Amino acid sequence: MHNTEHVVSSSVIFGFDPVWIAVSILLLIYGVIMAEKFNRAVLALLGAGLMILCGVLNQQQAVSGIDFNTIGLLTGMMVIVAISQKTGMFQYVAIKAAKMVKGEPWGILVMLSLVTAVFSALLDNVTTVLLIAPVTLLITDALGVRPYPYLFALILASNIGGTATLIGDPPNIMIGSAAHLNFTDFLINLAPIIPVIFIVVITVIWFMFGRDLKATDEKKQLIMQFDENAAIKDVPLLKKSLFVLVAVITGFTVAHTFHLEPATIAMFGAAVLLLLQSWGQPLHDKDHAYEGIMAEVEWTTIFFFVGLFIIVTGVEHTGIIAMLGEKTLTMTGGDLAATAAAVLWVSAIASALIDNIPFVATMIPLIQSMAPTFGGEEALIPLWWALALGACLGGNGSLIGASANLIVAGFAQRAGHPIAFLTFMKHAFLLMLLTIAIAHVYLYLRYLS
Amino acid sequence: MLAENTMVTEVTTAHVNDRVCDVLERMRATKLRMLPVVDDAGIVAGVISTFSIMENLVPSYIVSGDLNQIPYAPDMGILRRHYLEVIEKDLLSVMETKPLLVKRDESLLSTAAALTAFGKHEYALVVDEDKRLIGVISAGDILDRLGTMVESAENDA
Repeated sequence: MHNTEHVVSSSVIFGFDPVWIAVSILLLIYGVIMAEKFNRAVLALLGAGLMILCGVLNQQQAVSGIDFNTIGLLTGMMVIVAISQKTGMFQYVAIKAAKMVKGEPWGILVMLSLVTAVFSALLDNVTTVLLIAPVTLLITDALGVRPYPYLFALILASNIGGTATLIGDPPNIMIGSAAHLNFTDFLINLAPIIPVIFIVVITVIWFMFGRDLKATDEKKQLIMQFDENAAIKDVPLLKKSLFVLVAVITGFTVAHTFHLEPATIAMFGAAVLLLLQSWGQPLHDKDHAYEGIMAEVEWTTIFFFVGLFIIVTGVEHTGIIAMLGEKTLTMTGGDLAATAAAVLWVSAIASALIDNIPFVATMIPLIQSMAPTFGGEEALIPLWWALALGACLGGNGSLIGASANLIVAGFAQRAGHPIAFLTFMKHAFLLMLLTIAIAHVYLYLRYLS
Repeated sequence: MLAENTMVTEVTTAHVNDRVCDVLERMRATKLRMLPVVDDAGIVAGVISTFSIMENLVPSYIVSGDLNQIPYAPDMGILRRHYLEVIEKDLLSVMETKPLLVKRDESLLSTAAALTAFGKHEYALVVDEDKRLIGVISAGDILDRLGTMVESAENDA
């Protein structure tokens, strides 16, 4: 990913131009990933293997293409989240939030969306919805209201919240690592627009569903009977998890001062929490606990990233991405504002329809190739924010736009309230376009005017 | 030995137009946990059991395992809310529509096998060619019949 040397290879592989081989592998693998017939990690690793076996890359070039900062940050945060979720703190906060608004159906929707957005910004949106969605179903059931508006709001809030920080959504982790943008950069540049987008989206949801959300006093009283303290399963572990979480997030904000990468902070925090969570236990129990936590890391996602980085490095190595970058610049007339707009809107539409991770992986070298035109890497900053906003918010456009969306849809299906693909898209796509329009105005006013 | 020789013919039934609360009352009075549901012509439409009523009380997102540990929820409040809804429902929306049916000329061995394989019902409904209910046969009835046979064989010897 950091290979800045773009040279179209003149060598011929099996009688074919390496450009065609690399592009064919990329398109084939992306096409099969989109078809969702095979595991995406297996496909990405197959594609990576083909890049080496076909001679597009050698072993060393392939390994150097893997962005270990992204891999380390993802793995470290997955370990921290895997331990933290055992404490019951997500459920505690969700119930507390519902009781704060005295069981009012609309207030609960707003509070659960807010909790989801904040957790998604500070941890990851997939884990957040995994733990908040079942509690949401329980609360809507107790209220006797339709769960769809709540689940719909949860999906949108998770993707909006995840946009705010470096660690909120995988595309941001990839962009931060490739463009050397730290946690504070994301906080200063993306977080300010997120509350605006959140408020606009919640207001629109009120007009769509809010007026129909009503419950009797008896049902509101039932919400007040929930006992949030009973949700906490392990108080000592909760204290340890909160300590490490606060330390890690503080570490992210100061890491660049000490020339540390976020991956170092996340991995160190994960190691400390692993140590603390089983402190004082017999050795056998400790080993068992470590193995349990390690098994909860989403290795499929990690290997998907590894394979993807190698595939994109292969394509980048042939120089085709640099050529595409030049074509894009020709279309936008080399104008930064027009290029940022193109990146923002294309990323949003693409992310609504396909997996945003491979899309962002391909866009990163394309944007990097534009540095000479705009006068260096510093000038590319608005384009990175455009990519982050487009890719993360674009995930709200359809049910397949982000992993969190599919997880919520799965819960809804099992609860007997399936979310239809077209119904969701009818409600969400225009709302997503609205958020992108707000992001466009923000980018223009802050960086491009 | 055929099913019709062992079945119980005096059967307490529920009607397709009954509500769940009517049936629950009848179950309490007769201490039965499962009743065949029949229409005006006596044709079997399904069975209603305490199990099928309970299935309707527990939300599916809990049954699915997505929320299996919920010490923080007001359990009796939530169950009561569903109970009040379910007892007002028509039987048709709560009953099981695929009961275990056996024909009157079915052997006891195959009836016993059907009961074992089906698992969740206390008894099989014995029906005629038009699916009209003519009796019920339970595992207990089969065991009683076998016990009587062994006893009489021993007495004869």
